[in-house]
Amino acid sequence: MKARIAAVGDIHLGEDVRGKFRERLAGIEERADVLLLAGDLTRHGTVEEGKVVADELRDLPIPVVAVLGNHDYHSDAQDTITALLNDAGVTVLDDASTVLVCHGERLGIVGGKGFGGGFAGKCASEFGEPETKEFVRHTKDIAERWRIALKELQADHRVVLAHYSPVKDTLEGEPKEIYPFLGSYLLAEAVDAEGADLILHGHAHLGTEKGMTPGGIRVRNVALPVLGRAYGVYSLNGH
Amino acid sequence: MAHEAPQYVAARVQRALAEGENTHELGIRVDVRGDQLFLRGKVSTEERRTRLAGVAGEAAPELKVRNEITVVEIRDPGEEESL
Ligand SMILES: [Fe+2]
Ligand SMILES: [Fe+2]
Repeated sequence: MKARIAAVGDIHLGEDVRGKFRERLAGIEERADVLLLAGDLTRHGTVEEGKVVADELRDLPIPVVAVLGNHDYHSDAQDTITALLNDAGVTVLDDASTVLVCHGERLGIVGGKGFGGGFAGKCASEFGEPETKEFVRHTKDIAERWRIALKELQADHRVVLAHYSPVKDTLEGEPKEIYPFLGSYLLAEAVDAEGADLILHGHAHLGTEKGMTPGGIRVRNVALPVLGRAYGVYSLNGH
Repeated sequence: MAHEAPQYVAARVQRALAEGENTHELGIRVDVRGDQLFLRGKVSTEERRTRLAGVAGEAAPELKVRNEITVVEIRDPGEEESL
C-alpha cells in the first residue's frame, strides 16, 4: 500500500486572508492521507495569526502534522501558537516524532524547524565569539535530536518534516549570499545517518522544489511560492 | 550630507521590509538603479504587494518605486509524485 502525503509550507496566514487557505483544502481527503505543514504558518508569529491558522485547519478530514518556522517565533508566542494548533487537532512537532497509520502501514514523521549554518565546505563553525558558537550549536543540537528520533522511530515509511533546508539543491533561485540562513548540511547528515524516504521543507520562497541529500534521500521544498499550487502530493510506495 | 551609496539605500529598504511590523517580508529583492528603486519577489495578495511598495517608498522617499513584485497564483494540487 502507499501513503499519500500532502505538504505545503510558508502559508503565512493572517486575518487578511482568513478563509482562503481552507477553501484550497477542499477535497484533500480524496488526494491524500495526511497533510504536513512545513512551518511559517503565520507572518508575524502573533497569537491572533495563530488563531487564524488553527481555524483554517480545524476538523480537517485527514490528520495534520506541522512544524513551526522562523516567522512563527517572531513574537515569542510559539508556545501559545502550538497550543492553539493542538486544540484544533494539529500535531506540532518540535524535534520529535509521531506515527500515523495509513492503510494498515505505519507512517513515521520526525519533525522540527531546523536552522541555518550553511552547507559543507562553506559553512559556519562552532568557533570564536559566543554568538557564533551559539548559532552553530543550535543547529547541531537540532540535528542530534533528529538523529535520535529517527533511530528510535518504528515505522514502515519515514518522513522528515522541517522548515529550514537540509540541502542546497532546493535553494536554487535564492541569492547564494543568504544560503547560510536558509539551511544547514548538518540536518541532511543526521537524516542520511539513520535513513528516511523523504525530507520536506519550506523557508526558501525563491528556491526549487526538487533535490536530494548526499546519501540519496529525496528532498522537496514545499514553500507555497515554490509549488505555486495549494499543496504537493507525494506518494510513498510500499517496499 | 554626502550622497548615500545606492547599496546602503537598497539595504535600508530591505531591512524596512523585513523588520517592519506591517510587512516582515524577507524574500524581496531590492535594487537601486539611478533614481529608481526596483522591488522583485512574490507575495500572496495584491494588498501585501501594495503595502510593500508603500513601506519601500517611505524608507527611500527620494527614489521612484518600481514595484515588480508579483502575486503568486495558486493552482490546484495537480498530479501526485510517486516516490
Ligand atoms: Fe516563509
Ligand atoms: Fe521561513
